[in-house]
Amino acid sequence: MLESFRGGKVARWFKGRSMWLLHFCTGCGAIELPPSMTSRYDLERFGIIPMASPRQADVLLITGYLSVKTLKRVITTYEQMLDPKYVIGFGSCTINGGMYWDSYATINKLDYYLPVDVYISGCMPAPDAIFAAFLELREKIEKGEANGYKLYKIHYERYKANQDKVFKNRGIIEGED
Amino acid sequence: MVEGVVELIKGNFSDVEIVIPEHQEKRVHISVEKEKVKEIAKFLKDNGFRHLSFITCVDWIDEGKFELVYGLYSYEEKIVVLIKTKIDRDNPKQETLLPLWDQAQTYEREIHEMFGVYFDGNPGLTPFILEDWEGIPPMRKDFDSRKYSQITYDSEAK
Ligand code: SF4
Repeated sequence: MLESFRGGKVARWFKGRSMWLLHFCTGCGAIELPPSMTSRYDLERFGIIPMASPRQADVLLITGYLSVKTLKRVITTYEQMLDPKYVIGFGSCTINGGMYWDSYATINKLDYYLPVDVYISGCMPAPDAIFAAFLELREKIEKGEANGYKLYKIHYERYKANQDKVFKNRGIIEGED
Repeated sequence: MVEGVVELIKGNFSDVEIVIPEHQEKRVHISVEKEKVKEIAKFLKDNGFRHLSFITCVDWIDEGKFELVYGLYSYEEKIVVLIKTKIDRDNPKQETLLPLWDQAQTYEREIHEMFGVYFDGNPGLTPFILEDWEGIPPMRKDFDSRKYSQITYDSEAK
């Protein structure tokens, strides 16, 4: 009974309406969060509030470019969060590297390393785009399609290999010594 | 006034090249031999330029030189003086400015990590911002950042 409630439609309806954020403010895009959260746009209308601890958060918001050094911390944070958990990639930097696409320090595609449920394009995305993304995530959760955290477990080996690829032999260009 | 500063430097040091850049009348650029840097910095520090705002490095790979740039600022005159010096790219060594300014430590440590320049007399040239970096210093022009990015970040692990 409880099991079916947890995974059921009603539970998903509730989940979609109480998304608690852990905003990992890595890049410049984070600057659009304060206007989204404060009185003008007021994310809390949708049950979205910032959380201080990964243990209590449902959504990991990655707001921009990630250096490899930061990526390590992001992965640790993500693994500390409890299921069900969702990831929003925020801004072009998480999609294809954005304007840091040829930097030695920053990764280019976030979903090689973590399962991303929704991307927001733009550099940087305005509050309207942020709302669109949250509503999309809500819809996905309600339909039971936001399954990134399950995929992370199923394909863990692949994610781990991708993570190791950027963490090991840093600075060495393949084929050169 | 800028002219005053130029006079001051010219009066005390002979073989320095002084440029006042166009449209930036609150700046003085002086180019010197690398042995002279500390002496001039000390002289300027005693003459009002108490603030070391930054040290940075430019890689002139075609010339085979690194250029170190020291930015000094005077609160009274509100003038920036840049001391520039070129050092050998193959044997990049320069005397530390630690005895004059403690904050030189941060910049020298960073330049050491990002360009591989050694600062003689600085005991703290330990790893700084980069984590687990094994390649050549990444800000050197001969490190191919784009190629590294493409190989490392644009594809999945096999
Ligand atoms: S997408 Fe643009 S705004 Fe966002 S982190 Fe990258 S450069 Fe900054």
